[in-house]
Amino acid sequence: MLKVRNLSIFYENALALNSMSLDVNAGEIVGLFGSNSAGKTTLMNTVAGLTLDLKIKEERKGGERITVTGQVNFEGADILNVPPSHRVAQGIVLCRERHPVFRDSTVDENLRISGYTRTRAETRARINQVYDLFPHLVRLRHRRAGLLSGGEQQMLAIGMTLVAHPRLLLLDEPLLGLSPAMQGEIVRAMKDIRQQGIAILVTEQYARPIFPVIDRGYVMENGTLITSGTGMELMDNPEVKSAYFGM
Amino acid sequence: MTITFRKERLDRGIKARSADIYALASWRELAYLLAPRMLLIGGVLAFPLLRGLVDAYWLRVMLMACTIALLALSWDLMASVGLVSLGQAMFFGIGGYITGYLSSTLKWPPFITIPIATVAGALLCATLLYPVLRLRGIYFALITLSLPQLFERIIEATKILGGTDGMSGLTPLPDITISLYVIIAVLFATFFGFRRLIDSDYGLVFKGIRDNDRSVIAAGINIYWYKAQAVFIAGLPATFAGAFMTHYNQFVGMSSFAADYSVLPLTSTVVGGIGVFAGALLGAFLLVPISEVLRAYGTLRVVIYCIALVVFVVGRPEGIFRYAQRKYHQFERPVAVEE
Repeated sequence: MLKVRNLSIFYENALALNSMSLDVNAGEIVGLFGSNSAGKTTLMNTVAGLTLDLKIKEERKGGERITVTGQVNFEGADILNVPPSHRVAQGIVLCRERHPVFRDSTVDENLRISGYTRTRAETRARINQVYDLFPHLVRLRHRRAGLLSGGEQQMLAIGMTLVAHPRLLLLDEPLLGLSPAMQGEIVRAMKDIRQQGIAILVTEQYARPIFPVIDRGYVMENGTLITSGTGMELMDNPEVKSAYFGM
Repeated sequence: MTITFRKERLDRGIKARSADIYALASWRELAYLLAPRMLLIGGVLAFPLLRGLVDAYWLRVMLMACTIALLALSWDLMASVGLVSLGQAMFFGIGGYITGYLSSTLKWPPFITIPIATVAGALLCATLLYPVLRLRGIYFALITLSLPQLFERIIEATKILGGTDGMSGLTPLPDITISLYVIIAVLFATFFGFRRLIDSDYGLVFKGIRDNDRSVIAAGINIYWYKAQAVFIAGLPATFAGAFMTHYNQFVGMSSFAADYSVLPLTSTVVGGIGVFAGALLGAFLLVPISEVLRAYGTLRVVIYCIALVVFVVGRPEGIFRYAQRKYHQFERPVAVEE
C-alpha cells in the first residue's frame, strides 16, 4: 500500500532522514519506533505531504532549504509531489502529535470540519462511527475542544482523522502524555480501526503499550533505519529491547 | 543508484575569517565588515552635504524619509513585543500637537518643546494604550487603527487646539541642513539604541512576550507592565518625529493623524524586513524616494505601490534586508546526494 524507498530529507545542511525505506501493507498496523530526533515526525509529515508545504513556505521566507530525495509510493503511484490536500482525498490522513484539535470549536464541530472532503451523509455516518468507537466523546459533543483533557483531545483527534475516511492512517505519537488507562483505550481503538480495513502507521518512543497490536515494526535512530521485523523479532534484539521496551 | 543534487548553503570564507578580532589585521576583512554599514551610515550622513548639487526638494524628501524611518523603527519595536500597530499616526499626531500647543500658546523655543513633547507624548500614548495591552493580534491592531481617527474627530468636533485650521506660525527650525543633521542624529541614536535594547536581557523579555506570553507570565514577569514600557520606548522616536516635523512645517493640524503616517512605516518595515531594525531603516529610505519618483504617474503611483507590497508580503516575507544579508554572507553550491 505505502512504499517508501530511499527517502532522504535535509533541513538545510542537516540530514533528518537518511535513505529510509519502509512498507505498510493493507490492513496492517506498523509501528515506527525511535527516540527524539530519530526522524519519525519528519517521515510522517513527508508521507502526509506537510513537508512539501513547509518547503514552499521556508523557500519564500528565505529560511531553511528543505531537500527531499527518494520515492514515496501510495498504491503504485508516486505521491512525493502531490499536495497534502489531494493525499487526504486519496486516503492518507495524518493525526499530528500533541492532539491537534480546533480549540475554539466544539467536539461535534471538530468532527464535522474533518469531513470536509466527504459528502454530508457520509460525514454524518462516520461521525456516528466515531462516537461508537469512543463512547466517551458522546457526552462531550457540545464542549469546546480546547477545554477537554489531553486524553479526550487525543480521542477526538483520532476521531477527526477517521471522519476523513482514511485508508492509511498515520498516527504520530498518539500515546504522548496519556495515562496508562487512556493509552489502553487508544490502543484498543487502533485494533478496532484495523478491523475496518484501515492500515495504520504509528510512531512511538516507548514501544511496550502498542507492542501487542502491531504486525511489524521499524526502529530508527538519527534518521537511519536500524532494524525492522515483527514485534517478536524486535523483542529478540537486546539493544532494541532495552531502548524501546524498557526491559 | 542515481545521483541527485541538492543545493548547500555555506558561509563565505571571508565571513568566517572576519568573525573575530583578527579581522582587524586585514584590509579586505575590515572592508567586508565595514562596507555595507558605512554605505548606509555614510550615505545618510553625506546626503545633506549635497545641498548645492541636488534640488532642495530632495532634501525635503530626505527629511520625510527620516521621519518615516523613525516611525518604522517605532513600529518594529512594538512588533517585537507582539503588538502589531496600525496607528503610528497617533504617536506622530500627539507629539505634533503637544509641541504645537507649547509653541503657540507658551511661545517656548523648539529645543525645549520638542523634548517635552517627545517624552510627554510617549507617556500619554503608553497611558492611553495601557488598558488595551491585554488584547493581542488583530484586536490590538483594530484599536490602534481607530485611535488616530478618534483624535482627528475630537479636534474637529470640539474645535480645541485650533480645530480644523490647526495651529500655524510656529517657531521655525534653523535651516534645512541643520534640521537634517538633528533628525539623522536622532535616527541613528534610535537605531543603535533599539538594537542594543533588543539584544539585552531586558529586550529578551520583549521577544519572549511575542513568542509565548504565557511562558513569560509563568516566569513571574508582569507582561502588561513590560508591554507598557515597550509602548513608551517605541513611542519616543515616533512622538519626536511628530514634534520635529511640526516645527519644521511651522504648522500642526489634523493631517498629523493622517493614515499615511501609519501605513508608510508599516510598509517600509515589511519591505525592509520585520524584526531587524536595519530593515525598517532600509525600507523607509527606499520607499519614500520611490514614492516621490512615482509622483509623476499620479494616481497610478498607488497601484504600483500596492503591487510592490503584495509581491513582498507573498513572495519575500523575509524582506530585502535579510535577503541581501544572506546573499552577502553565504554562497550556495550543489552537492551530490546518493540514492
